Amino acid sequence: MAEHDAGGSVQALRTERLGRRYGRAWGLRDCTFEVPAGAVAALVGPNGAGKTTLLEMITGLLKPTEGQVSVFGQTSRAGTAATLARVGYVAQDHPLYRDFTVADMFRLGRAMNPGWDQQLAAGRMDTLDIPLKRRVKALSGGQRAQVALTMALAKRAPLLVLDEPIASLDPVARAELMRDVTAVAAGTALTVLISSHVVAELERFCDWLIVLSRGHVQLAGPAAGLLAAHRLLTVPRDTPDAELPGRVIYRDDDGGHSGVLVRADPARPTAQEHPGWQADPVSFEQLVMAYLQRPAPLTTQDDPAPAAQRPGPNMKELPR
Amino acid sequence: MMWVTWRQHRGQATACLALLAALAVYAIIEGTSMRSAFSSDGLTGSCLARTQGTGCLNGTGAFMNEFGSEVNIAFWSVALIVPGLIGVLVGGSLVARELEYGTWRLVWSQTVPRTRWLAVKLALVTGGLIVLGAAMTAVIMWYRAPMDQLTGRLIHNAFDFEGLVLTAYILCAFGFAVLAGLLIRRSIPAMVAAFIPWLAIRLVVEFVFRPHFMTPATGPVSANCTSPQLGCGYGISSVPQITGHIGDLVLSMNPGNLVTYQPADRFWPFQFIEAGIFVALTAAALGATIWLLHRRAHWTALSPALPPRPPTGGAAGAAGPGFRR
Repeated sequence: MAEHDAGGSVQALRTERLGRRYGRAWGLRDCTFEVPAGAVAALVGPNGAGKTTLLEMITGLLKPTEGQVSVFGQTSRAGTAATLARVGYVAQDHPLYRDFTVADMFRLGRAMNPGWDQQLAAGRMDTLDIPLKRRVKALSGGQRAQVALTMALAKRAPLLVLDEPIASLDPVARAELMRDVTAVAAGTALTVLISSHVVAELERFCDWLIVLSRGHVQLAGPAAGLLAAHRLLTVPRDTPDAELPGRVIYRDDDGGHSGVLVRADPARPTAQEHPGWQADPVSFEQLVMAYLQRPAPLTTQDDPAPAAQRPGPNMKELPR
Repeated sequence: MMWVTWRQHRGQATACLALLAALAVYAIIEGTSMRSAFSSDGLTGSCLARTQGTGCLNGTGAFMNEFGSEVNIAFWSVALIVPGLIGVLVGGSLVARELEYGTWRLVWSQTVPRTRWLAVKLALVTGGLIVLGAAMTAVIMWYRAPMDQLTGRLIHNAFDFEGLVLTAYILCAFGFAVLAGLLIRRSIPAMVAAFIPWLAIRLVVEFVFRPHFMTPATGPVSANCTSPQLGCGYGISSVPQITGHIGDLVLSMNPGNLVTYQPADRFWPFQFIEAGIFVALTAAALGATIWLLHRRAHWTALSPALPPRPPTGGAAGAAGPGFRR
């Protein structure tokens, strides 16, 4: 199981009991997780889970109702230049000014960001074969996404936040964009946080996973470690939870056998020892789905310590 | 930021220049013919001298027949709404367009904080509108100069476009529209929502408050003026003190031939008072906009630009975890 350094070095991103209330309803609450420097983190959740709210608070666009965000050890204050400068943000649907040319967009970027890297911006457009003189409205969806991504990259912020960057793209453009993001992240010291409700596309590219649902963090940690820690069991239907080797995350009892996702307990024997049981490794998508579909009511008062401070892969553990 | 503002508003700047040019062309054509008629009607020199009474009555009548309705009524009714239209068209989209198209997420996540972004934009656009208002005022003042010699400037149709108030009207409509754009988050409804109160305030100030800006003076009608509304109404430079009334009914003759009126030399004090009212309203609206933009934390739930997204293949929640084989 991968051990990530949670305490010693400065985390690229850290949220502490972050919450945002809209009127009386909480859009997001008690959200605590960390992303280490250099990670490509996937923030996964269904529409309405609070992903955009969370990302806007990380970016500095939205002021948290409670809790705080820190980026590379610096506590964020919404709407201040210092906070905004630390995060490159690509908003959902890649908003750009339609009547601007690509060169105009970059000039705006230069005018509004002291760290602007024009060479990077122009170079990427050259590589992607997007003419600088073309107007935004004449670009394809994939090209717009690339221009928006380039603007965020050329800002030269250490943390890149992408809100549903691929949702509106066709499959080819999706793969291209994700490849570009991960290539840039690998080539520089960039830390990336990508939100998506499209789970399958993220698996290949992300090494950190945060599952958000109903305004709460369900699971957070290194993707490989989380996958290794979970098992998909097929057991006889009447097997009680207590006999299963680990904590039951999700259980599907339709049919003769039950499909159960457990978080394995290293101290307990594995399923292979039971006749009639079958244990399989879990896929990225199955893991995410299981956490998203957990029927357990969500309460948080049992968790006084931030999940990130626990050893091993971080996970928001909730009572069943 | 200056370039950003220019890039976003250069279309409006061009349109404003075109409007100014059209106004200038009209003013030059009409102003020139008004000037030649003015001299051919004999309204020069001694005829307009201080002591003259009815000497110019015929010339005045001919001149007013030719130009009176056009300059004082048609032009007035157009020019009544034009400052408001300019203001709301420029201001309505300034913030609302960003919210409408979702570009606020782009522009407010750059390193420049959004309050500074707004302050710079407002300062530059306001400056542009002041220049526009001053230029329009200069053109109109030149155009109306012959008419003003007859009617004085402290009457509705002259007062409203000369001096300071025209610019102040534009700014006020602009300020209302920027604020409405922030609150309504859509450009066109914001323009409408700003224009209506602007026009209401504009007319209420003109017809209700303006006659009472200062305590009216009372004095005898000059000897030659038997009928101030007509003879002196189109009178001569001694008379605009009486004709220079503000409001419709300030002029009230009493049996002793005394008249209560706002003397024409109060033109500038009145300009400062009225412009001050509208500039104060502008400042209040723009100040409220900056404060709201700074304070108001979230726009997400309100942005109309994001349509509900149809579920995509592989979307979370679209299918079960697929445990069973």
